[in-house]
Amino acid sequence: MRVGVFICHCGNNIAGTVDVARVAAEMRKLPGVVYATNYMYTCSEPGQEEIKQAIKKENLDRIVVAACSPRMHENTFRKTIEKAGLNRYFLEMANIREHISWIGEDKELNTAKAIDAVKMAVAKVMKNKPLYSSSFKVNKRVMVIGGGVAGMQAALDCADGGLDVVLVEKSPSIGGMMARLDKTFPTIDCSICILGPKMVDVAQHEKIKLHAYSEIDEIKGYVGNYQVKVRKKATYVDWTKCTGCGACMEKCPTRNAYDNFNFGVAPTRAINIPFPQAIPKKAKIDPAFCRQFTKGKCGVCAKICPTGAINYEMQDEIVTEDVGAIIVATGYGLFDLDKFPEYGAGRYPDVITGIQYERILNASGPTSGHILRPSDQTEPKTIVFVSCAGSRDKSLGVPYCSNFCCMYIAKQAILTKDHVPDSQSYVFYMDIRSPGKGYDEFTRRAQEDYGVKYIRGRVSRIYPKGKKMVVRGADTLLGTQVEVEADLVVLATAVVSAPGAAGMAEKLHISYDTFGFYVESHPKLRPVETNTSGVFLAGACQGPKDIPASVGQGSAAASKVQALFSKDMLESDPAIAQVNTNACVGCLKCVRTCPFQAIKEEELRNGKKVAKVIETVCAGCGVCTSTCPCGAIQLQHFTDNQLLAEVNAICQG
Amino acid sequence: MNNAEQIKETIARIFPDVETVICYQQGFDGLHATPYFISIPEQVNKLIWNPLCAQNLTSYLPSIKKKVGIVVKGCDSRTIIQYLQEGLIDRAKVVIIGVPCTGVISVKKVLREIGHQPVVDVVFDDNGNIVVKTQKGEKRLAIADVCPDKCTTCQYPTPLVYDHLIGEPIASNKPKEDVYKDIREFDAKTLEEKRAYWEKEFERCIRCYACRNACPMCICQDSCIAETREPHWISQRLSLQEKFMFHMIHAAHLAGRCVECGECERVCPMDIPVAKLKKKINAEMKELFNYETGVNPDDKPPMYTFNVDEAKIKEHKL
Repeated sequence: MRVGVFICHCGNNIAGTVDVARVAAEMRKLPGVVYATNYMYTCSEPGQEEIKQAIKKENLDRIVVAACSPRMHENTFRKTIEKAGLNRYFLEMANIREHISWIGEDKELNTAKAIDAVKMAVAKVMKNKPLYSSSFKVNKRVMVIGGGVAGMQAALDCADGGLDVVLVEKSPSIGGMMARLDKTFPTIDCSICILGPKMVDVAQHEKIKLHAYSEIDEIKGYVGNYQVKVRKKATYVDWTKCTGCGACMEKCPTRNAYDNFNFGVAPTRAINIPFPQAIPKKAKIDPAFCRQFTKGKCGVCAKICPTGAINYEMQDEIVTEDVGAIIVATGYGLFDLDKFPEYGAGRYPDVITGIQYERILNASGPTSGHILRPSDQTEPKTIVFVSCAGSRDKSLGVPYCSNFCCMYIAKQAILTKDHVPDSQSYVFYMDIRSPGKGYDEFTRRAQEDYGVKYIRGRVSRIYPKGKKMVVRGADTLLGTQVEVEADLVVLATAVVSAPGAAGMAEKLHISYDTFGFYVESHPKLRPVETNTSGVFLAGACQGPKDIPASVGQGSAAASKVQALFSKDMLESDPAIAQVNTNACVGCLKCVRTCPFQAIKEEELRNGKKVAKVIETVCAGCGVCTSTCPCGAIQLQHFTDNQLLAEVNAICQG
Repeated sequence: MNNAEQIKETIARIFPDVETVICYQQGFDGLHATPYFISIPEQVNKLIWNPLCAQNLTSYLPSIKKKVGIVVKGCDSRTIIQYLQEGLIDRAKVVIIGVPCTGVISVKKVLREIGHQPVVDVVFDDNGNIVVKTQKGEKRLAIADVCPDKCTTCQYPTPLVYDHLIGEPIASNKPKEDVYKDIREFDAKTLEEKRAYWEKEFERCIRCYACRNACPMCICQDSCIAETREPHWISQRLSLQEKFMFHMIHAAHLAGRCVECGECERVCPMDIPVAKLKKKINAEMKELFNYETGVNPDDKPPMYTFNVDEAKIKEHKL
């Protein structure tokens, strides 16, 4: 065995606190190591060239690169040694940057630790075996979960690229949050006017199959071959017959059903179509309010429906969709106002959230676009906007900025002035965050052209006084307390992860952060990929995002899927579990513990029952290998012997 | 015990439904019982049943493919239940003859009492004593004084699973809290004391693997990790470290599986308390998962499942 060791300086990142030359010198003393050197930037082109040259000149058959995390450059160096004729799994990386040079300051100690780390890598690489990937077919069909603007954009881009798309939307209509908005910043163009055509495109695209009012029950499989169970929730209306005429909604005697679409600004009917531009424009019954369900008699809608579409006996239906990739665009949720007793939201009808105000401003909303406050339906003259209602507040568990509130507050203040010219708006703010294109000009317009009064400070309390709401807060620029008597208070509630985000992540086997937002593969360089191959992210499910960013991510995710599907066959990762059938005793503990259902029972020709790993399903997590009592199941590239070699290298040296 | 005749009758009845019945016969002297495989009903005459029938015969079950009958005590029945939980045997292929048991005898303890003299004859009196005759005289010992440690805290004298029960069921009269009393006492020692204890015990180990071979739950058979080179967890050196490693692996592989039948300890030629390690882990399993091995065929062994979160295990949180 002829091992070559390459120690990277990474500029000063490593060489600053590790004596790289000494590490290389120590490595030369190890049996099996025939070449060891240190280089400024091993990942650079000349750095890689040096590895290739050394492999040829020194006849090296195993390579150790001591540099940064393998997550950064393992693939780079695998390709390098492959080009020089070695199997890519004859590379081992020692992470002496993140694990050593960046975390310790004592050069002496760091160097000693680096020597140990590289020694371990050398011991491991000598036990490495050549591995080869196999290839499997890709199902070139993509599922998009979530029909908001990000999901729709992703679905349309995929479909326009010729892919079959399955779009799954939880609520009865696609459109998401954007469909509820009145105007969009910074151009003040009508939200549904620009979204509507896209929704129609989705509905009419022959490549897009839409499952509205559906949820994901189960996801099985792997990149290229997912099987997704979609639960089509019972609408109690046969959508093949429903024409969306709305007669049922008009005649429904239940007038107090909660309106999800309008965020409860006004009640709706028990059978309803969420909004005029809904896609699909079909009615559905809310059994929590429908008299047929709560009292057992009514049947008005069934009588009135001209096509006989009402079916009170309807059950959830489960359909299985086979797809090769999944784009997750499940959007966001809003902060629970009950956590704000001091702002009185939920208790005082005239303290509302930004999205509720959006519905009041909207021409298709419950007030037909007239600004009327909920308590007495009068026109408010003094309106106070409270930004960061929850956001940037560690004590409420939302330390992050919700990204787009500053902008929509400015927009809503401008629109308020347009609707009610003699009104005065106040905005309590912490900082005005408007870094987008044309954004800062927009917030300045609100202040300079529309006379919106911006008060820098936080609101401590909101309480009623007669017909008014008193907003008490600080003006930190003047250094005083201020009180504004308002007719209406709008809270810019914090953006949180969508309800059920964690459960969805577990179904998808993707990771999520403390706040429930999905974690991208790399925060800068792989923003729409996840660490589960074949699953991509778009929109606010990854973090609070405005419309342009969500649309951009939707397109980005679609292009990632197109790139994935540009190949007919995919290569499987050979670093997966493998069963030594001679040693396997068929106890099948592994079958029961595998989190991916990647192991099944197999009968050999001699009748012996053993475990078998389904190559493409195995994710290489290693749970089975630690379960197997006789060590018969080994994770390739991380076998017991390879790991023991590392342990021995550090413990015996 | 005068159950022997009843057992014989039952065995005669279950033929020819079963091909073989596993029971006990006398060994090379009166003090030793040995497993007995009956394949025709006539052989039943040599069957014996007395407190010397200590072996856990169920160890044979997973490797037998045909339908068998088997004689089990309360403790042995737990092995069968554990096998059923782990899917290692087919319930339809086993006919269980359960015999309630008042306690067995540790041959090792008797031999110690009689100074390892050759045994001439063994009789049992009606007062719960065993009388061992040697050339140097006769020794009368209370069975309760020479029983294995497991009998002193036995909770399940009556088999928990059976097709035919011989005699009447017996309830345990031993307090449940005492089952892990020895473990709690041992836990109270300091780390150094524990280490010194085990070093002294394992020093004697000759790595004969009798404990492993007798263990009913050691299912790896010829693929035991103790003897493989791939993976090479332990070497064949006879150092204390390697002995330690072997026993730790054995104990770890029995986590949530050991049915506390004590076979490992019974067969150890060096008298090492190897069952203690396994019992300690069982005590932990009880604490963490509220799981007791071999009592309910429908239980799921905790080590046979994968859960992202466990109620009593603190996972690292982001």
